[in-house]
Amino acid sequence: MEIADAVIIGGGVIGTSIAYRLADICDKVVVVEKGEVGAQTSGSCDKAIILQSKKPGFPSKLAQASRAIYENLEDELGIPFEFKKAGGMIVIQSPEHLQFMKQFVEDQNKAGIDVKLLDRKEALEKQPCFSPHIVGSTYSREDAEVNPLLLSQAFAKASRQKGADIKTHTKVLDITCEHGRVKGVQTDKGYIATEWVINAAGPFAPAIAEMVGVELTIKPRRGVILITEKIKPIVHGNILCAQYIAAKHLTDNKGTEVPPFGIGLSLGQTKSGNLLIGGSREFVGFDKSINANILSSIAAHASQIVPSLKTVQIIRSMVGFRPYTGDGLPIIDKVPEVEGFLIAAGHEGDGIALAPITGYLVRELIERSGRHKELLEPLKLERFK
Amino acid sequence: MEEITVQDTIICRCEEVMLSEIINQLESGSETTKELKLKTRAGMGMCQGRTCRPLLEQAVSFHTSNAIPCVSDLTYNTPIRPLALGELARYGKDL
Repeated sequence: MEIADAVIIGGGVIGTSIAYRLADICDKVVVVEKGEVGAQTSGSCDKAIILQSKKPGFPSKLAQASRAIYENLEDELGIPFEFKKAGGMIVIQSPEHLQFMKQFVEDQNKAGIDVKLLDRKEALEKQPCFSPHIVGSTYSREDAEVNPLLLSQAFAKASRQKGADIKTHTKVLDITCEHGRVKGVQTDKGYIATEWVINAAGPFAPAIAEMVGVELTIKPRRGVILITEKIKPIVHGNILCAQYIAAKHLTDNKGTEVPPFGIGLSLGQTKSGNLLIGGSREFVGFDKSINANILSSIAAHASQIVPSLKTVQIIRSMVGFRPYTGDGLPIIDKVPEVEGFLIAAGHEGDGIALAPITGYLVRELIERSGRHKELLEPLKLERFK
Repeated sequence: MEEITVQDTIICRCEEVMLSEIINQLESGSETTKELKLKTRAGMGMCQGRTCRPLLEQAVSFHTSNAIPCVSDLTYNTPIRPLALGELARYGKDL
């Protein structure tokens, strides 16, 4: 029988980030991953770390704390993952969105986010690929980007170097408890006795929580992204659209139309030259099959904003399931009913942005040194009860 | 005269991944074609693995002694051939 101080379930960007931080305070950390490292949600996403799109207030504060860790993370891990401070823009296509975006930028500035509004001319100067029909855009130099595939691999490798054991192709079958306390994890490759189990299974977290009788309301929200052939750099930094921001933050307002398939632009270009063009947001369970209408809608929306995309070849699409909690924030907490069982899941589309801080927050839940109290409080599980 | 060692060969033409890189990954613990893809970019290029998928499967099979699977664990994604974004955008208008 194997013995570990902590078992992390899920080897995505969240699980591997946690492993890296726990390896500092535990002798033996085990990550159990049913497939490959970073191959599901963490490998089917865009590459942006955008601060200016977060809701002003606590969500932007949490994102800022995580962004600050990115500043030196490549050096700390000793492994490059294409971190680049390339900036970000939210393009405004219609005059109706301009008023909303003015207010949004003002609120962001009050929340301490460095973002400004550009008129059409300024936006086109910064991003010559934009259509001359746009109204304007925002710009923030604080927005950054990474290669998410390399990021998960880097966290995994750095964790291994600190002694963590990352078991890929290993499935969790059950979690054993005794007297309301976690005792161990049964996998298809053996039993691991442990005092701490961290559920970092993203959209699959509810199935893991069910093993200890805990109900989690995280739902899979499907996102589709188009990937193009490699082309010369035409996009600088990452681009979102105001239509998406308005739909995201104004859900209560009757005046805001939610676009079909939840389409909203997310556009960026990887170091190798491929463009990532997103995306859709839908609740369809874990159904991976997509029809041409979704792909076509994403393509049409993107080509309105960047007309030169029309001649670029799409080589594939990518389907991912983002863990949706309902309030735009993850759950990072101890489960009161089951001692030793922690949840770090539900990051939805912010998993890449929030992975660095999540590692620290989980370490704090175990260490109990009194740090990060103000960051952990709003992430409690009880807010859904 | 210098001794000629095992000759390296290209596995993924689009992403220029050599057999030696694939063997390297297999020897350091990779077990599936998906893992090889994520780590080396083999199969991520213009042809999306249409050329290298069988080669990657052979390499994995050789190293793990598992049979080549009937259905590849490297998924096929739409569009199945490269398609200009403008063409794709136009498709929706016909509906």
